[in-house]
Amino acid sequence: MTVSPLGRDIDRVDGRAKVTGAARYSADYPASDPTSKMAHAYLVTSTIARGSISAMDTAAAQNAPGVIGVYSPFNKLGLRPMPGIGENYAPLEDTQVRFRGQIIAMVVAESSRQARDAAGLITTTYDEQQPRTSLADEPRVPAAGPPGQPPPSATVLAPGVDSIEAALAASDVVVEATFHQPMQHAVAMEPHAVLAEWNSDRTQLTLYSGAQLPHLGAMAAAGRLGVPPTAVRLISPYVGGGFGSRVMPWYDAALAAAAARQLNRPVRLVLAREQVFTVVGHRSAIDQTIKLGASRDGVLNAVSHVTDASMPFVGYRHMQPAVDTSAVLYKTPNLSIDQRHVMLDVPPTCAMRAPTEAPGSFALETAMDELAIATGIDPVELRLRNYATAVPGTGLRWSSKHLDECYRVGARRFGWSARRAEPRSRVDGHWLVGMGMATAIYPGSRRPEPIQARVQLFDDDTAVVSSATADTGTGALTMLAITGAHELGIPLRRVTPELGDTALPPGAPSVASAGTSTTVPAVESAANAAIAELVTVAITSPRSPWHGANREDLTYEKGKLHGKGRSMSFGRLLTTVGRRNVEATVTAQPGPEATQYRYHSFGAHFCEVRVNRYTGEPRVTRFTTVVDIGRVVNAQATRSQIVGGVIFGIGHALLEDNPLELDTGRLAASNMADYMVPVNADIPDLDVHWLDRPDPVINNLGARGVGELGTVGSAAAVGNAIYNATGIRVRNLPITLDKLL
Amino acid sequence: MRAYTFTQPRSVREALAHADAGAAFLAGGTTLVDLMKLDVMAPTRVVDINRLPLRGIKLDRDGLHIGALERMSDVAADRNVRRDYPMIAQALELSASAQLRNMASIGGNLLQRTRCGYFRDVTTGCNKREPGSGCPAMTGFNRTHAILGTSDACVATHPSDLAVALVALGTDVHLATAQGTRTVPLDTFYALPGSTPHVENVLRPGELVTGITVPRSMWAPHSVYLKIRDRQSYEFALASAAVAVEWRGRTINQARIAVGGVGTTPWRLPVVERALAGQLATADTFEAAVRTAADGARPLAHNAFKSALLRRTLVRAFTVLAQSR
Ligand SMILES: Cc1cc2nc3c(=O)[nH]c(=O)nc-3n(C[C@H](O)[C@H](O)[C@H](O)COP(=O)(O)OP(=O)(O)OC[C@H]3O[C@@H](n4cnc5c(N)ncnc54)[C@H](O)[C@@H]3O)c2cc1C
Ligand code: SF4
Repeated sequence: MTVSPLGRDIDRVDGRAKVTGAARYSADYPASDPTSKMAHAYLVTSTIARGSISAMDTAAAQNAPGVIGVYSPFNKLGLRPMPGIGENYAPLEDTQVRFRGQIIAMVVAESSRQARDAAGLITTTYDEQQPRTSLADEPRVPAAGPPGQPPPSATVLAPGVDSIEAALAASDVVVEATFHQPMQHAVAMEPHAVLAEWNSDRTQLTLYSGAQLPHLGAMAAAGRLGVPPTAVRLISPYVGGGFGSRVMPWYDAALAAAAARQLNRPVRLVLAREQVFTVVGHRSAIDQTIKLGASRDGVLNAVSHVTDASMPFVGYRHMQPAVDTSAVLYKTPNLSIDQRHVMLDVPPTCAMRAPTEAPGSFALETAMDELAIATGIDPVELRLRNYATAVPGTGLRWSSKHLDECYRVGARRFGWSARRAEPRSRVDGHWLVGMGMATAIYPGSRRPEPIQARVQLFDDDTAVVSSATADTGTGALTMLAITGAHELGIPLRRVTPELGDTALPPGAPSVASAGTSTTVPAVESAANAAIAELVTVAITSPRSPWHGANREDLTYEKGKLHGKGRSMSFGRLLTTVGRRNVEATVTAQPGPEATQYRYHSFGAHFCEVRVNRYTGEPRVTRFTTVVDIGRVVNAQATRSQIVGGVIFGIGHALLEDNPLELDTGRLAASNMADYMVPVNADIPDLDVHWLDRPDPVINNLGARGVGELGTVGSAAAVGNAIYNATGIRVRNLPITLDKLL
Repeated sequence: MRAYTFTQPRSVREALAHADAGAAFLAGGTTLVDLMKLDVMAPTRVVDINRLPLRGIKLDRDGLHIGALERMSDVAADRNVRRDYPMIAQALELSASAQLRNMASIGGNLLQRTRCGYFRDVTTGCNKREPGSGCPAMTGFNRTHAILGTSDACVATHPSDLAVALVALGTDVHLATAQGTRTVPLDTFYALPGSTPHVENVLRPGELVTGITVPRSMWAPHSVYLKIRDRQSYEFALASAAVAVEWRGRTINQARIAVGGVGTTPWRLPVVERALAGQLATADTFEAAVRTAADGARPLAHNAFKSALLRRTLVRAFTVLAQSR
């Protein structure tokens, strides 16, 4: 009997390929035609942050060994900007310098080393202007997002209340705090890389390049190259980490493809690690001010959240840290959010994991901890007193919300009752010990756009499930296989999943933690459609034992058709009728239920830290996270996602920082030694638990999203624990030992 | 990286014969190759010294002799080192990562270059890399930079953990040129930046480090290396302390102290040593002894915390040592 793999601990179907090195990442692909010799590209980036290039001496590079092409604003590749997709200009098309680290030239040579060496021989002369770099001092502008996004400012006032200030003034207790967090980078393990190959008459392009949205990658490359979207295929089965840095297509793929077209050779471009910090987007630096007004017993009367996020002149990510945190998390009669941008001459930004929710929750959940201190109420109890059952200012309810259970279960697992509210009250040897908690919240909705999935059933009783979503290391490939096996009722090993290739039906974008919740219903429909197709074959094929029967006579269960006293596996039936396979491709999209509810995943973090009494370094020693994410598809992958998300938050809290030099616009930590992310030694064994509460609305399985949730609130939980340990409140991330001495 | 000549001599003599002005010795390569890739170092000749017989970890009456090519991991694992010179093993094990320690040599470790981000980024000026091109660290980001021994030309820290421990223990470095050999105390081996930060030590052009000798002492077996940093592994020190104590009961007979992460060279603290000598090991003693530890510090915009951190690192190291006595 086949047991469904759904919800169990399932190893990655590609795990073996990954650990043996058989899995091919973008830079691992050889030229598909062994007779066409691959060329290698290397980028040159600007060393000023604002101005223009007055001259560029490329003669030495051109004459260097192995060099076959040097491209620059003085020898253009003819790329076109694609407004609305990533950056708002095309590199090498003009002499303007918009940020330090912008692409200003590309060298193509016979080997990657030759290209790199020649790139070092290029000298550039600039007309330099003073860059605008100060988040604190440059003018603020309202953060008008793209159409369809919630408004950047919103105010909800109770009847009779004139303004949020009036509501705050009328509150017994007011907490006001300002927070700062620096620019943050995804630093995915795989540097951005591409292999671009044209067919012989240069009408069809194949790109091998890691993408969170393969179809968007192909579409953007086509637009930038001036070819029809159908002319580009993007292949991206393995992606060495995304975290948002591979949502928007940057210019690497188009540059390599344009050079490949000119040179009539496959071109591989791999970004140097320091280039990944500026050619690829980062998360904006953000200043936030939160004001909470509450009664003496901690019931919120007013919430105000003002955010100022850096916005590069070259574009891309609109930062709205309050929309999915302060505007939805707690019940309050008066609410005001104001989300502004500060335009700067800095590299492009992107939607890094929990793009706005991570910073927003750091501010809000730290402020809530300050309110707990101010009112003398336990932080968990404070959150329960302000529990929202409908989105503030609207009557809208959640499809499913069990956050209260997360708090209670988490507090019990963690041993929260042992916490002493008084800071500095627990000492263990040389260490001050503290506990803190915070809430996690992240949108859990399906993607609104239609996506496709295909299910094929073969005569050897195997199935192929295809949908061109991406597996950025999340386990999406395994999720496809599990869902296929579950829907078809066949063993996992008989299902081959396919994704990451624009030749496949367009799948869910691997963004917004919506990959699974969006893909699952599509695979379900495709499986049902393929089974219907199988039934049609059964009743219409002359050699079928059910030839001439009615559809209703047949039922499908666990890989077999049953009816009229006989049973046959789909493989046997297909063999009997002489067909290799049946297949169905379906398009799926959420229905009206999508707008009738709000969909969020929820969670509660509990953290214990130790801070050295002498030298101040904070160390996380225990962490419990309990989440409410609907139905779990793969327990192992779910755990990994939450663990990874929490580690992300710990990194934000304690380590990550890429300081921007105000006078030069240079990012001071653009390498993996100075831009610090946690290492194994920094992370204790994380206790992760999820409630078994399938979402009754979102899709038939009841699965919401999980990927980014762990990153939301975890930094605040760490900071709150540090406050409990030391009595020092650090509102300026990262919380490094110098701030705790 | 630029083109260069590559040679693999088999004897010290042959190696020294190859060591012309533009040459660099290659040991583990974990500093040299890294900096060549970054274009920070551009030797015209690379002399691979790994075939030279500069090996051995030997303990005798004079002390501990370590060949320049011994790997960090092998020295850290050596039984004699762990027993008689624990702070050496600790300093090594708190350095870099396991993979790097398997490659990196003792000689190379002592000669590794600073981790100053401007030194490593050829798109900026740097007096150490390119004399006269300025010191952007002075006005840029200098949280990790030195507060002691700095000059107006350079404020970079010496990065080696091992060197801090070795300086505290009075180590000698053995050197060789084609003209002959000499021995220099490690304490005077490193140069303060002054107006010539590109000159980091007393090595003559083409001079080879052949090995080190750490003397026997009453304090080396009772020693600790404490390294303070933001993350728990794989990072250089914000401050570190190498402390060795000769005990007489609960009294400190004498102490040897050097600190890292705060100075432009591994930094001895003779004043603190004197303040501890003959004192009972109490918290008050420690607090009093470190009061002047950071005297003379020249803090910059982002590293002023290092004075306090240095004092506290010392107190913590003394406390750890006293508790494990
Ligand atoms: C990511 C990273 C993290 C690190 N973290 C730490 C840390 O936490 N603490 C720490 O102390 N170190 C750390 N290091 C530095 C590391 O310890 C040194 O790179 C290493 O010890 C150098 O030894 P090597 O044999 O590889 O030297 P090489 O790279 O081979 O040589 C270094 C220099 O010394 C010269 N040289 C080498 N041997 C001799 C000799 N016998 N005589 C004369 N000249 C010689 C070379 O020409 C070169 O200039 C780190 C390094 C990296 C890359
Ligand atoms: S501190 Fe020294 S190494 Fe760093 S930039 Fe200044 S001169 Fe160069």
